[in-house]
Amino acid sequence: MGVFPESDKKMSLEDAAKLVKDGDIIAFGGALSVREPIAFIRELIRQRVKDLHTVGTAHGFDIDLAVGGGIVKYVQNTYVGFEFDFGLAPNFRRAVEKGEVISKEDGCNSLIYGLRAAALGVPFLPHLNFETSDIMKLHPEFKKFKCPITGQTLIAIPALEPDVTVLHARIADKKGNTIISKPYVADILMARASKKVVVTAEKVVDRLDREPHIPYFEVTAVVEVPYGAHPTALYPDYTYDKDHMGEYVRLARDPDNFQQYLDKYVFGPKSHEEYLELIDIEKITNWKTW
Amino acid sequence: MEYTIDELMAVTMARLIKDGDVVFHGVASPLPMVASRLAKLTHAPNSVYFAGTGGAMNPTPPFLPTMTQDAVLFEGAEAILTVDYIFNLAARGEMDVMYFSGGQIDKYGNLNNSLIGGIDDIKVKLPGGAGGANLSCEVNKFIIWTTRHRKRVSSSGREIYTLVDKVDFITSTGFYQGGDSREKLGIHGGGPYKVVTELCVFGFDEKSKIMKLETVHPDVTVEDILENTMFTPVVPDEVGVTSHPTEEELEILRNEVDPTGIRKLEFPKDELKRKFEI
Repeated sequence: MGVFPESDKKMSLEDAAKLVKDGDIIAFGGALSVREPIAFIRELIRQRVKDLHTVGTAHGFDIDLAVGGGIVKYVQNTYVGFEFDFGLAPNFRRAVEKGEVISKEDGCNSLIYGLRAAALGVPFLPHLNFETSDIMKLHPEFKKFKCPITGQTLIAIPALEPDVTVLHARIADKKGNTIISKPYVADILMARASKKVVVTAEKVVDRLDREPHIPYFEVTAVVEVPYGAHPTALYPDYTYDKDHMGEYVRLARDPDNFQQYLDKYVFGPKSHEEYLELIDIEKITNWKTW
Repeated sequence: MEYTIDELMAVTMARLIKDGDVVFHGVASPLPMVASRLAKLTHAPNSVYFAGTGGAMNPTPPFLPTMTQDAVLFEGAEAILTVDYIFNLAARGEMDVMYFSGGQIDKYGNLNNSLIGGIDDIKVKLPGGAGGANLSCEVNKFIIWTTRHRKRVSSSGREIYTLVDKVDFITSTGFYQGGDSREKLGIHGGGPYKVVTELCVFGFDEKSKIMKLETVHPDVTVEDILENTMFTPVVPDEVGVTSHPTEEELEILRNEVDPTGIRKLEFPKDELKRKFEI
């Protein structure tokens, strides 16, 4: 964890994205169809960052878009897909099958232990034995050892310290105090494990009037990005955009067609405001009345 | 009263939950979602239900969603916990029942959710096993389900089985290499408990740990099972027929648990044409 005592960390999406360097280990907050920092990922693609190593539990749109946008080399997420809405993640699947992206698939708990070790400042944490899983073969850094207390076989999961964690939050203040929204998934742990934390938030205020989930000194940069999780959800403000994801998955199944998606939604809009003109905000915000 | 295969599987899976069990399912799990809720509304009101990695405990959703982080699945929850809280429960040995599926399932209940082919020659990248690699070595028992037991023929004319002799990649550990191989390595948890498919229910042979046929569904024969399974399961002299759901179970399932029918999403269309009568 880094310590960032500054009192005003508000910056533009462009500047915040420059905190991510080629080859960085990066954790995206949220999960599956909820609260993924998609506006930030679009900016990383525009800046043509290279060879990122993503870490996280079960994710979907974020990883597939980042892979399709050509900014990823290693994927250490435990699941990448669209569940029973749209199934397999097309860009992720294609890139791994072609060898362009390397899958370092992890288990949720071993991934969490790695982050937790980093958050605790210890070199590893002992995990119950799962040597029978071939996931171990994808992780030569996981070491089998004999417990000095009980003699049982355990697996040492080394600290996994992301260079950057990017979270999309409901509200933050300019100092970095952050309120996310349910479900919290692994966001708080990721922030605590990382060297740097970028918070993109629906709204950035001068000073929060509530206790934060993430205290300001863990946060490196704060960016105001309304609907910054679109097409994933930020409950209760808006739900995930199933129509948009459907269009995405249909186009992503063919690399040439996927370029149309990138041209329309990533490279086309001159600003985030222009991006928002392309989406149906009314539909995702009125989800409670469906 | 008429019912369909999705309902038979959901009820069969629900009945494997005991009252008071701590129950969890992961991503992409419509039938486990339905079964967990159904058990709670019928015979297992004191089961503790964790609805996916969103961490909702004992939610009362008006209908079930297609994505496990959908806010509907948090409706009425008694608590919403972080993902590591749930995994800690499992590591402490306090998770009773978990559900796993797999692109390939072998005779010992090892599951492949990761890749078809080899690590250095990936033919198909599957989405991944999420918590399975760890949880299968922690939870007290897990229930395997698949709606794709029936063998298929690929475009190149090759027969494709889900229930295979050997998986290409072990994501989640079943009885590993059979016998006491799992236990000998000191793997925690009880391993696979039952396998519920669209054709039958398997348990595991006590000694060899190979899948053992327990019941076939009402329109299925033992021959059908042998033909659609790549390995030879243990077949006892007497094989029963899977019990019908009760009318009460069906009514609660259709009207309260899953009115929009997400349980049907897992099935090839032809399977849903199978009709059963109570």
